[in-house]
Amino acid sequence: MQRYLSFACALVLACATLLAPGADAKETVKIVFIGPLTGGNAALGLGGRNSADLAVQLHNADAKAKYTFDLVKYDDQCKPDIGVQVATKAGADSSIIAGITHYCSAVAIATVDTYHKFGLPVIVWGAVLPAITYGNDYPEIHRVNGTMINQNEVNAKLVTGLGYKTWVIIHDTTDYGKGHDEYFTKYLTQDGGKVLADFGVGADQQDFTAILTKVKELNPDVVYFGGLTPIGVRLRSQMDKLGIKSQFEGTSGIVSDSYIQALGPLAEGTIAFIDGAPIEKLPGGKFFLEQYAAHKYAEPPEAYGAYAFVAANLVMDTIEKVGPNRKAVTAALAATKDYPSIVGPVTFDAHGQNIVPIVTAYVVQDGKWVVWQDSDYAKGKRKLAGGK
Amino acid sequence: MTGSAATRGAARSHSGDLLVATAAVAAIGAWLWAFLATDSVGVLAGLLAFAAAAFVFGRRAAPRYRRALAARPRMATSLGVLTVCVVAVALHDQPYPLLMLCTVLLFVVACIGLDIQTGHCGLVNFAGAAFFGTGAYTAAILAAHGVPDPAVIFAGGVVAAAAGSLLILPVLRTRGYYAALVTIAFGILFSTFLEVNDSLGGPQGLKLHGIDFFGWRFNRDVNLGWTTASFYVNYVVLSLALAAGAFVFARRIERSWLGLAFDAVRLDEIAAATFGIGVGRAKIIAFTLGNFLCGVAGSVYAMMQGFIAPNNFTFGESLILVSILILGGIGNPLGILPAALIIIVVPQKLQFIQEYRFLLYGVLVVLILLFRPEGLLPRRIRDYFPGSGA
Repeated sequence: MQRYLSFACALVLACATLLAPGADAKETVKIVFIGPLTGGNAALGLGGRNSADLAVQLHNADAKAKYTFDLVKYDDQCKPDIGVQVATKAGADSSIIAGITHYCSAVAIATVDTYHKFGLPVIVWGAVLPAITYGNDYPEIHRVNGTMINQNEVNAKLVTGLGYKTWVIIHDTTDYGKGHDEYFTKYLTQDGGKVLADFGVGADQQDFTAILTKVKELNPDVVYFGGLTPIGVRLRSQMDKLGIKSQFEGTSGIVSDSYIQALGPLAEGTIAFIDGAPIEKLPGGKFFLEQYAAHKYAEPPEAYGAYAFVAANLVMDTIEKVGPNRKAVTAALAATKDYPSIVGPVTFDAHGQNIVPIVTAYVVQDGKWVVWQDSDYAKGKRKLAGGK
Repeated sequence: MTGSAATRGAARSHSGDLLVATAAVAAIGAWLWAFLATDSVGVLAGLLAFAAAAFVFGRRAAPRYRRALAARPRMATSLGVLTVCVVAVALHDQPYPLLMLCTVLLFVVACIGLDIQTGHCGLVNFAGAAFFGTGAYTAAILAAHGVPDPAVIFAGGVVAAAAGSLLILPVLRTRGYYAALVTIAFGILFSTFLEVNDSLGGPQGLKLHGIDFFGWRFNRDVNLGWTTASFYVNYVVLSLALAAGAFVFARRIERSWLGLAFDAVRLDEIAAATFGIGVGRAKIIAFTLGNFLCGVAGSVYAMMQGFIAPNNFTFGESLILVSILILGGIGNPLGILPAALIIIVVPQKLQFIQEYRFLLYGVLVVLILLFRPEGLLPRRIRDYFPGSGA
């Protein structure tokens, strides 16, 4: 059975490769998608892969395009060593011109040297760690999604603007939580806020009474949490048990429906931020969602699908412009300015980082995440904790 | 027939057998080259089918030629090393297959370490990745402090062995499932420790530079005169030397009095103790030697990858090491190479089916164990007089 199966696979693939040039006289150019297709982060990886695939299919359907694109897909399993292996595979394959790479920060940071060594231009579509673009001077590395830097800059500005003065920061000890801690502290201090205390918590810690007792004593205006939904839910409910009346705010990690489902009315008034906007609110988001639905992918695009879509389009448009040559593509990508996309105009800074990412503020209102500007809180109809 | 004529006849057939055996090794080398170099599904399926067929049809003829090689262990080892070298030269300008070859060879070193523990002495170790990781992190820290790289690699092994000594008491006191549980707990403890420890890079991991052997920089492409070879050739040479060294070492241990003691302890501890074998001593030696090899492999692996993070050394990775051991045939270091090829390279070769590849690969492993329940090349009964034909 096994042998028949692989034989059938081989046969189908052989037919496909034989038929492809006949059906289309255009030159075929290969680009690579790399993300976590198996393991704990597979949902996000598959969403990204489908979105990149959608971009390629739409591009190939365009009769005016000079090249037909072939999207090679590799799985990095969200593991740095496997990431280096597939990056080497893609980098060493001279028929691959550019890449749309990585959701996991640890993998993205591990592979930058590999891409630089092989001169393969890549656009990161999901990893948020700032050092991926800012930790090196490699011209090959670009990123379309925002970093946690932008998110915290907007966050600090908004909450200090509301008149809050003192904060306690609680964060999980993963790279995600620690990064948020670092950048939020930086921007908050710049904007005149005061951090009374800073606590790190383990990613599967259950009981926060010790920390929260201390928080109650300090009595800050706001409790900031850098981490994901499960701890966010526990923290918020245990704050209530101990009678802490401070305002609660979080990062992109708690913007999920399960946060509200788990907390019920307690979730009301929680503020959080995400890099980007809800897909429906993006300039071309409706078009993207319609096309995505029309192509009947088995998995949803997830939070970063739109970025994979944009990265794939940017790569293909650049190749259309300068031809399938890695060096030319690297140079042309560096000059990307105001490239129109469904996540807004893309402009790369000297490190290849998209400098105009959208950050959206949210607040929980009546059991829903509502964009801050549209909420009753911003309009003054309702008050956050501390009467702000 | 007179005695001397019989001896002469045997010698003649021996040299004939040796020739056939050498040709077989060369064929395996050619297969290895094709397997590593191919990117086509059809070729891959063909190669796997060919290997399976060769396995089935060659089974009856194989022992004769194996004996011919076993009679000349030094020549056999050199032949193996030479074959891999030729494969590396044939692949010299293809970084990806070379990287996979290095990865396989380094996992072979680590698995030979586990083999001394499990296959010889009967100690189950489900924390292989933790000792591999100890070597890797030792390399990261020492290399950053300017320790010369050859010393770093050795230190990786020593620190891993030292970390293993923490486990000696519980491992000596427990047996079977309980000993397995102790090592599982240690493995999980290790990856958790890495995640919360900021000075070791935390969950984000650590960057390393490439190996530098007295001015010979491993991360630089090699000029071979007529052509330029990928820098991974350096790592292939080093990993091959380590793998060959580990193999010879394991064989020597097996044939020594220590090896006999290991076997006795594995088969029956009480009987071994009755015969005056120090059970505890044998276990401590096997455990320490095995962890040392894991650590050495880990330190080279880390410097080759250039980046390490805790999720490279989780319980899942320990299971991969153990499954290589089981698939290859516990106790036989020769079985480790084909098993490592299957466990490490096949999932990467199946990248074209993306998220379903682990399904297909799982089916493949189950099928192999269905037809070879003792692994690909199970350990044979001890041959007290090699080459005697016993």
